[in-house]
Amino acid sequence: MSPTSYLFTFEAGPEFPTPRPGQFVNVAVADDLTLRRPFSFAGIPAPGRFDLLVEMRGKGTRALAEKPIGSAVGVLGPLGNEFTLPGADSVSLLVGGGIGVAGLRLLAQELRRGYHRIHALVGARTSPGLLHHVLPSPTGDGEVLIEVATDDGSEGFHGTVAGLLERVLNELDAPARVYCCGPPAMIAATADITAKRGVPCEALLEEMMACGVGACRGCVVATRSGYKSVCSDGPVFDTNELVLEELVRA
Amino acid sequence: MPELTTRIGDLTMRSPVMLASGTVGYGPEYEGVIDFGATGAIVTKTITVEPREGNAPPRLVETPGGLLNAIGLENVGLERFLAEKLPEAAPLPVPIVASVAGTGAGQFAQLAAAVGERDEVAAIELNISCPNVERPRNPVWSDPVAVGEIVSAAREATGKTLSLKLSPNTSDILSVAEAAERAGADALTVANTLPGMRIDIERRRPALGNVTGGLSGRALMPVNLALVWKVAEHVSIPVIGSGGIGDTGDALEFLAAGAVAVQVGTALFATPEAPSEIADGLRNYMEENGFASIDELVGMAREERRTCAETA
Repeated sequence: MSPTSYLFTFEAGPEFPTPRPGQFVNVAVADDLTLRRPFSFAGIPAPGRFDLLVEMRGKGTRALAEKPIGSAVGVLGPLGNEFTLPGADSVSLLVGGGIGVAGLRLLAQELRRGYHRIHALVGARTSPGLLHHVLPSPTGDGEVLIEVATDDGSEGFHGTVAGLLERVLNELDAPARVYCCGPPAMIAATADITAKRGVPCEALLEEMMACGVGACRGCVVATRSGYKSVCSDGPVFDTNELVLEELVRA
Repeated sequence: MPELTTRIGDLTMRSPVMLASGTVGYGPEYEGVIDFGATGAIVTKTITVEPREGNAPPRLVETPGGLLNAIGLENVGLERFLAEKLPEAAPLPVPIVASVAGTGAGQFAQLAAAVGERDEVAAIELNISCPNVERPRNPVWSDPVAVGEIVSAAREATGKTLSLKLSPNTSDILSVAEAAERAGADALTVANTLPGMRIDIERRRPALGNVTGGLSGRALMPVNLALVWKVAEHVSIPVIGSGGIGDTGDALEFLAAGAVAVQVGTALFATPEAPSEIADGLRNYMEENGFASIDELVGMAREERRTCAETA
């Protein structure tokens, strides 16, 4: 999908519950790793199947990428909560940084099926890292719009995807709802921009996880009502609930 | 059919495989994921008198063959545990062992009395060995006098079965074990995690928010196995083995060293099926090798046991 990311399709069988946008799955990627790896559901190509969009970043993701096609892999899921779907009259702004686009892909597909207006803003450091092409294709009638941003200006808007969001919100003529997923600094910037304008915003967070079900309290994030588990209270949070300084510091 | 039943004080368990404190929450979090029916008992997250927020994240970092955690005893506190968590866990088809930690003997007594009078609590584990909370330079887990006071106070406060969870991070675990036995502990859980740390070189700072954490998982297994071997020889109360137990082979080694039961913790994260797989594995091993009960496995690698078996 990009020089460092792959799309995997898993055959989970008819008993596997249909994942909701925002939910994730814990994958037993390798026998010699202590922890499973959490990945957002990135698509449902057919009933009983799901897609994961994975960037090769460390031992776990590399082990997954090296598995032969057809390998049996243990999965635990669907886990976690889900995105709040938008009202019929609002534009959904999907803000994805880097591999964060993976967390928005299933949402984009679901919104598209419901004929919601989608405006996707996709950022990356440089042009080859952009993952906008995994989202539903732009339409001529403007119902699906996609814009890209690169930190180095090699493609699209020159700057961060949060900077691009600011420009888009300034020009927007309809009520909006923002969904974001990406690095902590990008989420914090997106949260700031939306809070100032009173635009509802949800972030899908990523954290190192152990149990995945809220038992071990290992994957917490600081919120205005104390530490919450990303795995069981999230992974989707209203950004007004997050303590942004701690999100960036952690 | 071999019998997997094992006993710790007044607690009779259908399987020697328990679930370790801190890894299963209060129990219901894992409903539908873990087969509680194949499990001897679950040990809850450690409860303190007041609720605790826990440490700043990140709280986890994976290590080769292990895991460092610095949760910091996050828990809902005694009041909410008694009012909410315990009633929620009670319907699970498995005995509940309440893990508690106080700042001194007085709090341990208060906690033991409060959880001990509840019917839902089958036994109590006294956690004196969490490496992730503030502590003086001489930690309580290395101090036989302080440990004796804590166990005595808890003993006076409740008639329920008490197990003391020891720390591997001490030069003289036997004195601590001895003090606990003398003060009335019914069992010893051997042992907690070892302190450790990782540094995130990309960000040039400790990987954990708390700087250090407790090492668990396979990397810890031989360390705690050696402690079980030592402690089991030294005390006459039952020893529960804990530390990196992930499969039947690990469980057999702890039993062979002298543990009467084992606790599975970190292994649950990658393999929630581990407790039932280990119970099945033990049954198969016993069947194939002519053992009728868990008692016959306990200490089977010890010389006194071996000699006894050979002359029989």
